[in-house]
Amino acid sequence: MELLRAIVFDAFWSAIPAVGFAMIFAVPPRMLKYCAAGGAFAHSFRMLQIHFGMPIEWATFITTTLIGLIFVYVSRRLLAPRPVFTVASIIPMIPGKFAFNTIIAVLSMNSGGVTEKLLQASIENGLKTLFILFALCFGLAVPSLFIYRNRPIV
Amino acid sequence: MLEQGVLLSREEQTKITRVLVRTAQMLAQCGAESRLIEQTTCRVGAALGVESVEMAISPSAVVLTTLNHGSCITTTRRIHELGINMHVLCAIQRICILSEKRLLTTADDIDKHLTEIKPFRYNRWLVVCMIGLSCGAFSLLFGGDWPVFFTTCIASAVGMFVRQEIAHRHFSPLINFATTAFIATSIASMATVYQWGEQPYLAMAACVLLLVPGFPLVNALFDMVKGYFNMGLARWGTATLLTLSATAGIVLAMKLTGVWGWNP
Repeated sequence: MELLRAIVFDAFWSAIPAVGFAMIFAVPPRMLKYCAAGGAFAHSFRMLQIHFGMPIEWATFITTTLIGLIFVYVSRRLLAPRPVFTVASIIPMIPGKFAFNTIIAVLSMNSGGVTEKLLQASIENGLKTLFILFALCFGLAVPSLFIYRNRPIV
Repeated sequence: MLEQGVLLSREEQTKITRVLVRTAQMLAQCGAESRLIEQTTCRVGAALGVESVEMAISPSAVVLTTLNHGSCITTTRRIHELGINMHVLCAIQRICILSEKRLLTTADDIDKHLTEIKPFRYNRWLVVCMIGLSCGAFSLLFGGDWPVFFTTCIASAVGMFVRQEIAHRHFSPLINFATTAFIATSIASMATVYQWGEQPYLAMAACVLLLVPGFPLVNALFDMVKGYFNMGLARWGTATLLTLSATAGIVLAMKLTGVWGWNP
């Protein structure tokens, strides 16, 4: 029950950034609901996987692969290119906090001298940022690399 | 689709080439990935009856050649970044499909439809509110509480407003990102100064997320995975520079307010 509530909370609050960023990208209004659904599903599904002990990078990869496959269907039905939906949907999963922590750690090393703790923090956060980013993009590219090799999806 | 291509006069082929390069230019300017630019343009070309379309895409220009019965026409167009616009992308995709279904058969028709595309933008105040809420949502997802949420909302809404104002005056995006990050971080650091909420530093991390260059990053990796290395590296470079200038803004704000965002 506690888990269910956490998932609903997560899904609701990750649908909002998906829609917000879709608006910056000028996604047509009738497609916003798919972005919202995608963002909500992606972040809450990833949270569920992390809850059951999956490392965050792999959870991200699995989620974005699923998102990529689902939106193949949606984009073929609505005759719109896939990035219209997928990029907004993955925005809530962008490793913003890790990236911010990396930057702060690196800057503290610059101004206050290198300590073991700062070095550790910057490397750990930096690697997480990088791997999550790669997982995001490769996951989305899976359908066009494996299934639709050189053919157009829409 | 014809194997050999219909016999076209020189003028007709020139006209088709112009329409095709315009399609490619518009696609590149609204932020499509390179594979999509090439595929869509080639499909329109095939539908209009040229034998083959070959193109080179670079970050600042597209070069396009049409080949038909041994006659080649090549043309180049400069690309000016106009900002990401998915509405234009959808509209061009629709034109491509219409031309493949033989509902648009001449170069003039397609040109007319391309001219009719008016880039759609959401109402700016709506965007300001939604981005404020979005960054607030990020702070909640990071584990913040309600005081942090409200601070983040206000900081990033003001940030978004500043970003729109600066973009409207045609400053470089680098200056824009640095200024926006500076203002948003300055406002968010108030949470730490006055100790609002449990982990007030989360507001500083979340409020600058409106500056994440999501599209350049995703497109960069898409392009490189699909073999368009010059475009991919260029986009990666853009994303890195934008992030660095946002960082400069964050640092400046933190030095001025004396609040260091996070202690490892």
